[in-house]
Amino acid sequence: MFSSQVFESALSITMFVLRILVPLLSTIVLVRCFVSLKRGRRKEEPVVLLEDLASGLSIPVLYWENSIGRSKSCDIVLPDSTCSRDHAVLYRRASGWIITDTNSKAGTYVNDKKIKEATQIIPGDVITMGTSRFALRRVSEGTVIQQKKKIKQPKISNKKAPSPAGLLGLTNVIHLLLTIQCCFAGGQFNALPFIPFALLLAMSWGLYLISRKLLGRVSFEIETFGFLLSGVGIMLLCAEDFSLIYVQMGSMLLGLCLFGFLIWFMGDLKRVMKARLWIAIAAIVLFAVNLVIGTETNGSKNWINLGFISIQPSEFIKIAFIFVGASTLDKLQTAKNLWGFLGFTAVCLGALMLMKDFGTACIFFITFIIIAFMRSGSIRTILLVLSGSALGVFLILRFKPYIAERFKAWRHVWEYADTTGYQQTKVLMYAASGGLFGVGLGNGYLKDIFAGDSDLVFGMLCEEMGLVMGVVVVVAIAMLILFARNDATRSRSTFYSISACAAAGLLLFQTCLNVFGATDVLPLTGVTLPFISLGGSSMMAVWGLLAFIKASDERTYAVRRKSK
Amino acid sequence: MKTTGWRSLILYIIGAGFLAGIIFFICSYFIQGGSWAIRPSNAHITNNGQLTYSGEITDRDNNLLSYSEDGVQQYNDNALIRRATLHVVGDPNGYISTGAQYAFRTQLSGFNPITGVVSPLGNSITGSNIQLTISSDVSAAALQALNGKKGAVAVYNYKTGEVLCMVSSPTFDPLNIPSDIETNSAYEGVYLNNALSSTYTPGSIFKVITAAAAIETIPDLDSRTFYCSGSTIINGETITCDGVHGNVNFQNGLAQSCNIVFAELAVELGKDTMTKYAEQLGCNTNFYLDGNPNKMSSYNVEEADENSLAWSAIGQYTDTVNPYHMMILMGAIANGGTPVNPYIIQSVTNSIGLQTKTGKTTYGDNMLQQSTAEELQQLMRYTVSNYYGDSMFPGLQVAAKTGTAEIGENKIPTGWIVGYSEREDLPLAFAVVVEEGNYGRNSAGVVANAVLQKAAALYT
Repeated sequence: MFSSQVFESALSITMFVLRILVPLLSTIVLVRCFVSLKRGRRKEEPVVLLEDLASGLSIPVLYWENSIGRSKSCDIVLPDSTCSRDHAVLYRRASGWIITDTNSKAGTYVNDKKIKEATQIIPGDVITMGTSRFALRRVSEGTVIQQKKKIKQPKISNKKAPSPAGLLGLTNVIHLLLTIQCCFAGGQFNALPFIPFALLLAMSWGLYLISRKLLGRVSFEIETFGFLLSGVGIMLLCAEDFSLIYVQMGSMLLGLCLFGFLIWFMGDLKRVMKARLWIAIAAIVLFAVNLVIGTETNGSKNWINLGFISIQPSEFIKIAFIFVGASTLDKLQTAKNLWGFLGFTAVCLGALMLMKDFGTACIFFITFIIIAFMRSGSIRTILLVLSGSALGVFLILRFKPYIAERFKAWRHVWEYADTTGYQQTKVLMYAASGGLFGVGLGNGYLKDIFAGDSDLVFGMLCEEMGLVMGVVVVVAIAMLILFARNDATRSRSTFYSISACAAAGLLLFQTCLNVFGATDVLPLTGVTLPFISLGGSSMMAVWGLLAFIKASDERTYAVRRKSK
Repeated sequence: MKTTGWRSLILYIIGAGFLAGIIFFICSYFIQGGSWAIRPSNAHITNNGQLTYSGEITDRDNNLLSYSEDGVQQYNDNALIRRATLHVVGDPNGYISTGAQYAFRTQLSGFNPITGVVSPLGNSITGSNIQLTISSDVSAAALQALNGKKGAVAVYNYKTGEVLCMVSSPTFDPLNIPSDIETNSAYEGVYLNNALSSTYTPGSIFKVITAAAAIETIPDLDSRTFYCSGSTIINGETITCDGVHGNVNFQNGLAQSCNIVFAELAVELGKDTMTKYAEQLGCNTNFYLDGNPNKMSSYNVEEADENSLAWSAIGQYTDTVNPYHMMILMGAIANGGTPVNPYIIQSVTNSIGLQTKTGKTTYGDNMLQQSTAEELQQLMRYTVSNYYGDSMFPGLQVAAKTGTAEIGENKIPTGWIVGYSEREDLPLAFAVVVEEGNYGRNSAGVVANAVLQKAAALYT
């Protein structure tokens, strides 16, 4: 009797120590991932030069896509009154350097021939825009690959650079610590949680080997990040109910496939730009199908039941939405207006309103704002859209007051603890019960509350793993905006930059809605917490969105180009 | 491409919103986490609305008053002590919201923002122990002296702030809750701690407040002579006095509790001065006991005519006062004008034996000039020694004022006594109210003596 008490105390202290270690190690992995991404970033060095034939001066060409024109906002500014404000775009693809005229008045000439469409040029070719004449020159006789070697020259930083395998290994260790906690959930030892652990291990190293050895990609930070968070979510669900992880891990595998497919698909921007119309049509059709045959769950008609499995189409349309919104620089400079995308957004928001899925509608709206701003840079447009939508919201609340009723409990949840504030009060109560380091996996009570493992999962995370881990997880998702911004000018196209920023902003905003909705900082809208919440569609879509951030890292496509 | 670089800064707007939100949440957690977690519906810590395990509540002599085990509230072995300390400790259903079990449940449940409600040691969640400043023996003596009457007894050390006794009647035994508690009128108001959460018509004890106003406002007060013929007409209506005092000076006016003296003073002072002093001495203000607010004493003569103003100065009209407030006022007088704030938590000791909180002596807002306080000390002492007689409080050197508050025709008046002991080794201020007590001297006065004698016997 006495010895069993000692054993229980020892076990409890061990578990407590593990719960302190997990957020600590997770922070290390996240910081190292970011450092690694930062280190891997190319320096702002010219790839090629444009030699002004009149003055003999060289203008460095710094980016993968460069706008040329009189406007100050161009990457290459021509102080030439005969040039248009946005005259042409000079960009690099797998085949080499390409120039395209962006509806300039004077036209663009390559070797004195007026170009009508995108034209490939090689060093030595002469480009004429207005009265300006340039020759394309290499920076040195060295190739671009040598340029890349140049970056890696500082030995010290190279030594410190975190090893991708090491980081993934540390992630596995974190998962192992969670697995051990999971095994002792409920006081009895249970070896079952080692199954998801083994699957996570296999998936992570499988992807690692395919990515690094087969495809020869250099970087693995984004994938490590995704594995870390997905694993935390899976272990949380595993401690709740082992049967939940079948769908969750299956979706994760499909998500990895989607991740790989999207990266391949985005490898050819020409293909992407052509496919955008079809993606938009497919998205609208999917919405229409959802509205016709969708099933209503908790007041929102956002599910399609396929008999053996239910899917949430809006999760996948998030990916399509970014595809439709993002664009390469040459297309941005020629088609400046946002009408097409605005129309598409209106259809999406309308469909979501009809489904009464207001949370997701907000997410689409914010994503629209990000993309619209990154495309146009016009603060005026954004303000116009914002004030227009504020008016719309006002009208909706005016004529459909029952919608406002739903938010009545906001900031007063304790007064509505038996009705509309019920879920939030439970989240606050149980999240606070966990303290900074949680009551232990499987020992919580929030999982018994409706939507505890989806909409309210932040509370469950805090209750069982502690507030520190909860904050680490959501701050990690917030760090995606740093990941995306890191590559905003370094990516191979504005398409990647815009889509990565949109994906990061979308995930962060969704996180805000989930976390702050559950904890009564914002009204409760009922969206999932990326990576953590139970939900197959959500898990798949999150990995799909990660593909955008991965694609904006120029190293993602580096080696493949070399092998051609 | 460079434009996408700066345009991507838009992400920081969402990032800033996120940071603001998460910081707000973390701050809220550290400030309010305890009140979020300590809820009757929290399955981690409660069972049928009761704390599954809670720390011990003990009195100043380490007598166990209550604790909770497996969701069942346990109490002291002695039924008299259980009844006497019920309102300070709390009832099994948590209806007495000022009771320590409910008011200090965050400490008792062991919540702290670091480990939440769990113990890393893995043993059952045991909360902190709370030692109260009250004496269960003195409380028992107070309840016995009340002799079944409704009322309240509040006693505290005016030098340190420790509340020695806070007893409210009616009461009941928490281990044998009477079946007719909801229906029997004898139990009406049983869930209120009358000392802290009730107010009563003060009657003559309010003359202490009027006296303070007069001392600070009227320079030749001591040389004046008033004439009492048993009644007087103010504004066409009668003010009556219990006796016919003839020519009477201010000192004897207070000692003999002459209504005429104070009615005339009130008219002379006027509404504004009366209101100013009533509020300066704590009316229309909340006082707190370790975070629990009292029920405010009320003095409002806004719509009073001169006659009503006169009645208000002798503790009638719409005046209501709170026993806890009166006790603090007596402490202020005894202390030379500034009261020591009362406290009831002597110490909070967490499950690993560390004291996380100890009661400390703190001072409240100044109520009276020192000279005024000293004059009131002298007047109230004179009232006991020359009028009531020290035989009423053998050996205790009490300064006090009694009151007999009329509460309506055909109703037995409420008996009051407020005061303090001048003995250096017994620095206690008190307020006692007895419903249907009639003369304060014979009802509340007897209770006060019994309580103080017990305290003197035990603690000097």
